[in-house]
Amino acid sequence: MIHIAKRLIEFMLFLLLLSFISFIFIKLAPGDPVKQMLQVDEVSITKEQIEALRDELKFNEPLHIQYWYWLKRFFQFDLGNSYITNQPVLTELLSRFPATVMLTCASLIVMILISIPLGTLSALYKNKWVDHMSRLFALVGSSIPSFWLGLLFIEWFAVKLGILPSMGKGTVKHIILPSLTLGIAMSAVYVRLLRSSLLESLNEDYVKAARARGISERRIFFFHVFRRSLIPVITIFGMSLGSLISGTVVIEVLFSYPGMGKMVVDAIIRRDYPVIQGYVLFITILIVMINIFVDICYRYLNPEIRLKGVERR
Amino acid sequence: MKIVIVTNYAGEKMFRYFKSTLILLMIFMLFGCSLSSSGEEEKSQKELTLLFNFPTNTIDPHLDSNYTMVRAGVGETLVKISEDLKIEPWLAEEWKSKDGQNWTFKIREGVTFHNGKKVDAQAVKASLERAIKDSPAVKAALKIRKMEANGQLLTIRTEEVFPQFPSELVHPNTAIIDVTEKDFDQKPIGTGPFKVSSFEPGVALKVERFDEYWNGKAKLDKATFSFNEDANARLMALQSGDADIIFRPPVENLEQLKEEKVKVDSVPGLRTHQLLFNMDSPYMKDENVRKAIDALVDRKEIVEHILNGHAVEAKGPFLTDFPFAPSYEEKKRGIEAARQYFTQAGFQAENGKLTKDGKSVQFKVLTYSSRPELPLIVQILQSKAKELGIEMTIQQVENIDEYLAANDDWDFATYSSLTAPRGDAAYFLNATYMPNGALNYANMNHPELIAVINQLNQTVEVNERNKLAREAAKIIDKEMLHSFIVHPNIIVAYRDGVKNWVTSKSEYYMLTKDLDVEK
Repeated sequence: MIHIAKRLIEFMLFLLLLSFISFIFIKLAPGDPVKQMLQVDEVSITKEQIEALRDELKFNEPLHIQYWYWLKRFFQFDLGNSYITNQPVLTELLSRFPATVMLTCASLIVMILISIPLGTLSALYKNKWVDHMSRLFALVGSSIPSFWLGLLFIEWFAVKLGILPSMGKGTVKHIILPSLTLGIAMSAVYVRLLRSSLLESLNEDYVKAARARGISERRIFFFHVFRRSLIPVITIFGMSLGSLISGTVVIEVLFSYPGMGKMVVDAIIRRDYPVIQGYVLFITILIVMINIFVDICYRYLNPEIRLKGVERR
Repeated sequence: MKIVIVTNYAGEKMFRYFKSTLILLMIFMLFGCSLSSSGEEEKSQKELTLLFNFPTNTIDPHLDSNYTMVRAGVGETLVKISEDLKIEPWLAEEWKSKDGQNWTFKIREGVTFHNGKKVDAQAVKASLERAIKDSPAVKAALKIRKMEANGQLLTIRTEEVFPQFPSELVHPNTAIIDVTEKDFDQKPIGTGPFKVSSFEPGVALKVERFDEYWNGKAKLDKATFSFNEDANARLMALQSGDADIIFRPPVENLEQLKEEKVKVDSVPGLRTHQLLFNMDSPYMKDENVRKAIDALVDRKEIVEHILNGHAVEAKGPFLTDFPFAPSYEEKKRGIEAARQYFTQAGFQAENGKLTKDGKSVQFKVLTYSSRPELPLIVQILQSKAKELGIEMTIQQVENIDEYLAANDDWDFATYSSLTAPRGDAAYFLNATYMPNGALNYANMNHPELIAVINQLNQTVEVNERNKLAREAAKIIDKEMLHSFIVHPNIIVAYRDGVKNWVTSKSEYYMLTKDLDVEK
C-alpha cells in the first residue's frame, strides 16, 4: 500500500514537472495564436486589436504567472478551452481518443498476426527460404515509407479492386487499410526481434535440461522457449503502443482518419496552447499506464522477475 | 540432431498456425467488406460526395475558419459575393445607409430556419450578437456598436464610418443561425438548401435536403462534405468513386484525369502571390531598385513551369475582373530592363558583379514552404539576379507572419494573401498600407496613398469607392510598393455525371441547390 502511495506521489510530481517544462517550451516557441484567432488573412485588423487580444488572453504576463493561471484551473480539473474551436480541451481529446484506440488495436492485431508466425518460422528454419523471405520482408517493410505503402494499398484495394474505402471512418472496412499500413511497417521490426530472441532461447541450457527430462518438444517450445522469448518483444511493444496512441499523423492525414496525432500537430502549428498542454498530460498518463501494463506482462512471462527485483537493477 | 527433429515438429505446427492466421486475416477482411455493403445507400437517391483539402474540427459557423457550413450549403449570410465578383443580396433583400455608419437591412421575407422557425430581424440580430461575442475575428471585422430589430428591419450602427460594412457581411463566419438551438458544434440550425445530418470532426459533414428552402428545393437528396489533406489520396478517392468532386488534385495528374472522363476546372482565385519590399532596407527605399527586382520576375515562366499553367499573371493586387482593378500600362521587363533600373539607382557593374558605393550587392530574401511554389519563385529570381551579378541569400522561415513581425533584417520577401476576399478593396489597402495595418510588415508610410485610403474609408457611394481603390492601386503600381506576381488558380476535378458544378472564385459556395448528379 505504501509502495503504491509512494509511486502515486512520484507520478504526480513528475506530471507537474512535465506540465511546467512543456508549458515553458510551448511558450518559448515564437508566435502565438492571436493572429490565427483574428484570421489576419481575411479580416482587416490593426496592430492595436492584436495587442488587445493578447492582453485579454494574458499573453503579456510573465511566463510563471501564465503557468500559475493554467495550474489553478488544472487543479479544478479544468484544462481550458481550445483557442481555435472554443471547445473544452478534454472534450476535444476524448472525441479523438476512441478513434486512436481503434486504430492502435487494429494495427497491433495485424502486427501480431504477421510477426509471430513469421518470426517463429524464421527462427525454426534458420537460414532456410522462410528465413530469407522474412529477412526480405523485414528489410522492405522497414524501408518503405508508410505514406507510400498506404497509397499503394489505396490504389490496389480502393481504386483497382474497389472492395475497401479509400478514406474515412465509420465501419470496420474503414479501419482495414490504415491498420494494415501501420501493422506491416511495425511487424517488420518484430519479425527479426522475435527470431533472434527465439534463437537465443533455443540454445539455452534449460532447453537441453528439459529435453533430458523427457518433456515434450511442444511443451518446451510453447511453455518455455516462446514465452521467455517474448520478454524483449514486450519491451519494444510497450514503446510501440505509446507511439501509436500518441498519434500517427501521416496515416491519419492519408486516410482522413481523425486521431490524436493530427489534432496535436494542428494545435502546435496554430499555437493552441491549452490543447497542446492537455494532450501532453493525457498522453503522459496513458504512457505511464502502458508501462505498468508492460511490467505486469514481464511478471507473467517470467516469474523470476518481481517488482522489487526490477527496482534493484 | 535432436534439434533438427524439434524444429521440424515445431515447424509443422507453425506452418499450420501460419495457415490458420492467413485464413483469419482473410475472414477479417471479408467481414469488413461485407459490413460495408450493408451500409450502402439506396441507389434511388441523388447523392454526392465533395472532398475538400482542409479538414475542420468544428462546424460552428461563427468559429470554423474553414467556413464548412456556408460551403456545404447549410448556412447563409446576409450578403454574398457573386461569381462576377459583385456584392449581392442573400438573406438581406436590400440595405441602405446615408452616412456609412447607420445601416438599415431588410431581411428577406419567407425564410425559415431548418427547425421551421421564421427568420426575422430579431433572429438575425441574435445570431450576429453571438458571432461577435464568440469570435474575435467577427468582432474585429464588423465593428458593430449597436443593433435594433423591428419586424424584418435590422438597423445597425457601426463604431465608425464604415462604408464597406455590407461586404464584411459576406464573411461566412457571420452566417445566420438559430441561436436558441445550442448544438452549434454538431448540428447548427441554418437557413440553406441543406440541413446537417451528422458531423464527424476531421472526417465528414453529412447533409440532407431541406425541403422548405426559401429559394426552391435542392436537386440533391443528400451530400457529404468530406476532408483529406493529401492530394494523392484525394485523387484516388475520385478514381475509386469514393468522391465525386475533389478540390486541388495533384497538378501533375490532371492530364491523366482528363483521359478518365473526369472534368477539370481551373479558375483564377482571389489569392495573389507577391513580393514585399522592406522599406527600412537601405536598398529597397529606392524606387528604381524595387522596379529592377520586379522586372526580374519572369511571370510567364512562373505560370508555365512552376504552376503548370494553372495561374494568371498578376498586374496588380486585384484580379482584373474586379471593378476596382485599374488598367495598367505595360512595363519593361527582363534582365536588360532590370539592369537599366539598377543603373538609375546608382549601381555599377564591376567584373561581372553589381556594386553600390564600391561594395558588392547582396539581398536577403525570405520565403516559406507552406505555399510550395513560393520558394521555387525565389529560386528563379535568384538565378536571374545572378546573371546581373547580384547575390541573393534565401532564408526559408517556418512562419512568415511571425518572422516579418519580429525582424527587420530582410530586403524583400515572398508573400501570399487574399486581396479582396469579400469583393471590396478596402480590406487589403487598410491592412497593408496603413501605418497600423496588421499586414504592413514592410513599414510602408506613403502619405499620398494613405490620403486616398482615408478618403476611401469615408466614401459610401460604390462607384466613387471603386474609383478611389483604382487610384490607390495605381499609386502602388507607379511607386512599385509591392511586386505582384501571379493569381494561382483554384483547381477542381469532378466526375462526368456531376451537373451544374460552379467553381466559386471566392471558394465560399460549393454545395448549392442547383448542384446535381446523374443517377
